Amino acid sequence: MQEKNIYKPIKAKLTKVIEESPMIKTFVLVPDEEFSFKTGQFIEVTVENVGEAPFTPSSSPLETKQLEITVMKAGYVTEEMHKMEPGQYMGIRGPFGRGYPLDEFTDKEVLILGGGCGFAPIRSLLYNLKAISDQVRKVTLCYGSKSPVDCIYKPYIQELRDTPKFEVYRSVDKADETWEEKVGVVTVLLDDVKVDIPNSVVVVCGPPIMMKFGTKKLLEMGYPEDKIYLSMEKNMSCGVGKCGHCEMGNYFVCKDGPVFTYNEIKDSPNIWM
Amino acid sequence: MTAYRLTEQMWADHLAEVIRDFSVFAPIKKENSTDFEEITDKKLGSIYYGGNTPTTPLKAFFFPIKENVTTTNQTQPRILIGVPNCDLTALVLLDNIYLGGDLKDEYYQDNRDRTIIFGKDCDTIKESCHCTAYSIKPYSEKNCDISMSVSDGYFYLSPMSEKGEKYLDKFKFNQLEALDSLPEKVIQNRETMLANLQKQNIDIPDEIASRKGIEKENKVLWKKHATTCVSCGACSMICPTCHCFLLIDRKDFEKVKNWDVCQLPDFSRVAAGEDPLEKLYERLKYRYLCKFAYKPDMFNALACTGCGRCIDTCIGKINKNVVIIEACQ
Repeated sequence: MQEKNIYKPIKAKLTKVIEESPMIKTFVLVPDEEFSFKTGQFIEVTVENVGEAPFTPSSSPLETKQLEITVMKAGYVTEEMHKMEPGQYMGIRGPFGRGYPLDEFTDKEVLILGGGCGFAPIRSLLYNLKAISDQVRKVTLCYGSKSPVDCIYKPYIQELRDTPKFEVYRSVDKADETWEEKVGVVTVLLDDVKVDIPNSVVVVCGPPIMMKFGTKKLLEMGYPEDKIYLSMEKNMSCGVGKCGHCEMGNYFVCKDGPVFTYNEIKDSPNIWM
Repeated sequence: MTAYRLTEQMWADHLAEVIRDFSVFAPIKKENSTDFEEITDKKLGSIYYGGNTPTTPLKAFFFPIKENVTTTNQTQPRILIGVPNCDLTALVLLDNIYLGGDLKDEYYQDNRDRTIIFGKDCDTIKESCHCTAYSIKPYSEKNCDISMSVSDGYFYLSPMSEKGEKYLDKFKFNQLEALDSLPEKVIQNRETMLANLQKQNIDIPDEIASRKGIEKENKVLWKKHATTCVSCGACSMICPTCHCFLLIDRKDFEKVKNWDVCQLPDFSRVAAGEDPLEKLYERLKYRYLCKFAYKPDMFNALACTGCGRCIDTCIGKINKNVVIIEACQ
């Protein structure tokens, strides 16, 4: 039997709130106890007396003193989170599930397709890939947002563009006069990227509709089904494969995922909801 | 199967002794049903050892309707008497889910550990009973601690687990003469019940055939049966294998595990609004797929044990067996 009660959160002090966009904030949390995770794994975050929701940390897994979650205001838990201020406490449980298999990325080009708040897990992955950049050939980020104002992690984007081996392509569905990059849904960026498909893997994370059409396009481009890594979103409560909410055919997304290859889940029901 | 024979008086004396240290739960007969109740001195004589499925499914003792899972676990030792085999078989799946893998549910574990389960022989059949459709017998041969058969004023106890052996040892029942087998009359009752159930369930497809039928694309069928479904969730709440719950948050970061079921709206809705089970007929189909395809694949265990409670309880009169028979046509 494990020592820890799987349902009991540890307290984490909110030390900083970063406004990423009108709907998205990043919360910097300092856990009361030692806490570490692997990139792509998720945690359950509690707002006391309100509720709990799953988030994949957006910070580097190599940073052990604090962690960050990037949260879009979408439901009653996230709405309460957005009202919180530094000094208050959240609860965290985890880490849970299977993250990105970095061993499989060795000597490969890594193409990353992200949309909206799906950038959060991707940023954690990017931090990790930067730390092991001598082990990968190239990292290409294609990131789409609804509009320029919805683009998150703006300073980090610049930092990435200045990093050797990293390329960044961005698009917005609807541009304004300030936008100088691509316009259109995120998959249009795939027309511009130069990737050595036989020697690459691809990571997709974003809203279900984007994951669906992104995967479709990647398959058309010739990516093998087992080289497309999808970070799946489902309603979750326990995070440990007991509560049944995230059942997707023969998988519990929390326990068996949240990262799956397309090959693993292509026959499962409702993968794009 | 080794059995120890107790007279009525011996068993009565034993119960009177154990209720001092254990919480004892057993079926009590109601007007049209039986249900588990905590046995006090006054109720010792009212335990109903026969019948079939008590209204409350066994899971409720290990996975309570509401349970605070951040405070101290319950430790009071318990005895459950009169548990039918359909409910015992359901424990195989529940144990796999809650105790399998690297992360165990310690509250479920503690509830299991502190409980001695006495399996029973069913001696009546209700219209909805269909355990034999899935090769489950109406008497216990495993998945309990002690199998109990009652016949001609005697109680026959057979150990079915290490915990059961220890219990019989503790109360010196194993110092009684050990019978090599149960008496002919008990065996006869078991065979009669089995034969009657098989006869009653002759038209119900087994779990393999059921799965094939359910997996067929048949929107018309699910929509038809969903017309009388009111999404009350009773079929799943009362199901001995349904294990789903929702953690509810309280002050001081306490969490309460509450039963939750896939038949209720919003069970699978994510914060942004997408919901793969938004439509009622999709939820209905999902329940059958979960029981006959997903859970057997994931846990190599039956997720329907033929207790018939979902049929008895449905206010929309949805008969699960009729649905499956139609799905298999």
